[in-house]
Amino acid sequence: MIPRKPTLLLTLFALLVLVFMNAPTVVVVLASFTKTSYLTVPPQGWTLDWFSEVLTDRGYRRAISTSLTLAAGATALSILLGTAASYALHHRLVRGRDAILSLVMAPLVFPAVVIGVALLQYISMLGFRGQFWILMLAHVLITLPYVVRSAMSSLTGLNPQLEEAAMVLGSNRFEAFRLVTLPLLKPGLVAGGIFSFVTSLDNVPVTIFLLTPRQTTLPVKIFASVEHGVDPSIAAASTLLVAGTAIALILAQKWVSFTRFF
Amino acid sequence: MNSSRWLGAGLVLPATALLLLLFLAPTLLMGLMSLRNYTAGTGVGSDWTIANYLSVLTDGFYIEIMARTLFLGLVVTLATLLLGFPLALFILRSSPAVQTLTILLVIFPLLCNIVVRSFGWMVLLSPNGVINETLASLGLIAEPLDLMYNLTGVVIGLTQIYLPFMVLLLVPALQNIPADVEAAALGLRASRPRTFATIIVPLALPGIITGSILVFVLTISALVTPRMLGGPTYKVMATQIYDEFMTNLNWPAGAALAFILTAITLGLIWGANRLAARYTKGLQA
Repeated sequence: MIPRKPTLLLTLFALLVLVFMNAPTVVVVLASFTKTSYLTVPPQGWTLDWFSEVLTDRGYRRAISTSLTLAAGATALSILLGTAASYALHHRLVRGRDAILSLVMAPLVFPAVVIGVALLQYISMLGFRGQFWILMLAHVLITLPYVVRSAMSSLTGLNPQLEEAAMVLGSNRFEAFRLVTLPLLKPGLVAGGIFSFVTSLDNVPVTIFLLTPRQTTLPVKIFASVEHGVDPSIAAASTLLVAGTAIALILAQKWVSFTRFF
Repeated sequence: MNSSRWLGAGLVLPATALLLLLFLAPTLLMGLMSLRNYTAGTGVGSDWTIANYLSVLTDGFYIEIMARTLFLGLVVTLATLLLGFPLALFILRSSPAVQTLTILLVIFPLLCNIVVRSFGWMVLLSPNGVINETLASLGLIAEPLDLMYNLTGVVIGLTQIYLPFMVLLLVPALQNIPADVEAAALGLRASRPRTFATIIVPLALPGIITGSILVFVLTISALVTPRMLGGPTYKVMATQIYDEFMTNLNWPAGAALAFILTAITLGLIWGANRLAARYTKGLQA
């Protein structure tokens, strides 16, 4: 398109849309500092009491630790499985490349709620309901596409001669991968890993079907608490979740710039 | 098999096995479940039947839910297009510094939890929420407006939630339009609006189609936001699937509904891919 300056009308409209897009998060963060026992924005007085209430509450603490363990474990496994598979698919070491790739990507196009109910029924039948490792593998299922997509596009961007050069110079396939390819893949894997971590941390539609009444994750707990009425502690728990996401992103900015997509 | 084939098989095996055991097998099992008979009280039977699909496709209760879901998808898609297109234009026309800031403000909500954002909308839209209180204190309304537990609330929430995807797909689509084509139209004395309607929009169509299909598909399968902002009475397909499995325990009906939702989703994605491919080919010819 021809480069030109935005008109005043366009700028105003864009500003309104940006406010609309960020309003709910800002409102939740603000509401978590109120001194009142009910939710109100702007907050009346400033206090951190709701945060200390959430962080000392056993239920919330367990939900937070479950969420973090789940996200960290699922991301680590996704990176491991995803990188291995992508390497083999990229170098065409296996037959049926397209079929395997479509299979790995399929959970991305399936409605999440359908994946959730299908798994619920399957693991109930096998008697694995409530097992933590099943929940973690289910999260690997939904985070794997992001890692594979990221790894595949990084591999495509690599100069194949670099790995060949390492092998000509006497390193075996694994050494060439570890010393040459892997360091070059790192930005892509970090980006895919962060996306996978955030996806796992946020997931409700798959997770909610696989939990037992005694287990919960942070977003599922917030989701369930809302049905019993809202108070500022839910806002504080939400703020913690937003803060966790923001920290993950700031860390990621070190390796990947979001604006490079354009 | 030579050594590299063994290596390849070993490398793809864990990921493939996971997908086969925890994705393909459960999906096939659900396909079988959707064909089982169900009697209230006794539960899932052992006979094969297509009654679940028939009842979902003929029962007024389910038809209403499906129609409402598709209508919701349409409204949210249009809303994200109307809000997203100007924002994408603004991003392209801004200075690099403003551009970076705007993109960050578009990406930030995308990465905030959907539960948190829906909760934020509850705080804003509820009868004693921020919007109603502000309007009441300004003396503009006497009674609080019904902004939640209805179509309005769900549309507002879902539009905000899926808008980032639309913007992020429209920006590259608009960016790729060659300046020459637009300059040629303007040089041939086409007006700005006419250039916009006959040059810019058609050339951005692949992006518009991709964005619209993505938003539509995400909207019709959304569970969290319709439940939080629509409440227990405003039912859509995903919340009904949830209820069939978790409350009514009518798994065959839930499975049939889940398959219909999946069929709509996959059909649309497939159709959109073909349409986009044909359109791109047409442009090059």
